[in-house]
Amino acid sequence: MIERMEVGAELPTLTARSTLTTSVLYAGASGDMNPLHFDPEVAAGISPTGGVIAHGMYSMGLASRLLTAAAGGPERVLELEVRFTRPWPLGTTATFTGRITAVEDGVATVSLAGIGEQGERILRGTGRIRA
Amino acid sequence: MALNRDKVGTVYPSYRYEVSREKIREYAIALGEDDPRYVSDGDDCVAPPTFAAAFTITKGGASVLGDPELGAHPALVHGSQRYTYGERPLKPGDLLTCTPRVAAISARGSNEFLTIEVDCRFGDDTLAVRSEATIVFLGSAPAATEEGSS
Repeated sequence: MIERMEVGAELPTLTARSTLTTSVLYAGASGDMNPLHFDPEVAAGISPTGGVIAHGMYSMGLASRLLTAAAGGPERVLELEVRFTRPWPLGTTATFTGRITAVEDGVATVSLAGIGEQGERILRGTGRIRA
Repeated sequence: MALNRDKVGTVYPSYRYEVSREKIREYAIALGEDDPRYVSDGDDCVAPPTFAAAFTITKGGASVLGDPELGAHPALVHGSQRYTYGERPLKPGDLLTCTPRVAAISARGSNEFLTIEVDCRFGDDTLAVRSEATIVFLGSAPAATEEGSS
């Protein structure tokens, strides 16, 4: 759990690499079997990058790990909202960051971002956790 | 073809989802989670927040996207996602009743935005989790369609 729940506090970051293994595991676990996320032939035809990309929900799940770690567990997460702003190609890393932007009435608002290898923003969002 | 705006507000039949320990475990492992409760065999087992993806995205969207009157087409991407949580996390044995609804349809540039809400309730009818998924349909906004057909 984060020690000081105050405006400006940075959450510990998380860096992860998306691979065929992470994608297949997430497809099976989530039930989202869209081959865009694991089949290069299919991805060549429909992917915005021309290649296989991670599930958006996988990146949201990683962003949520920051929140639960900071909040002290899933029971303290009230709301999570993200926008998938750029595709996350398999075989690349992304770093997830969070910063507390408001603390009010026992609720902390956290601004979240996922940044790809080229500095591109793959995700941005907001979480609300019990302070 | 543009999405049918008359479908905003349409509620689709509820479906049930039973939360299981093994599915929570699989999901937590796929995300590399380290909270031991996600993989616990005991009464302390709970699900991570985005576990709701396992029953609100594909399953929740199926009846909406499969509605022939909506006009959904395959050129789509998941644009954004919001989860609002109830009083406690999901745990093994929870039997949820999930109700999909078309919450909004809008357009920006040549793209259309469909927001599918799935309201998931515990057995006592209190909120378990509410999902709002916004799906971006590429190139089908009414203006783009008119341009294309003129």
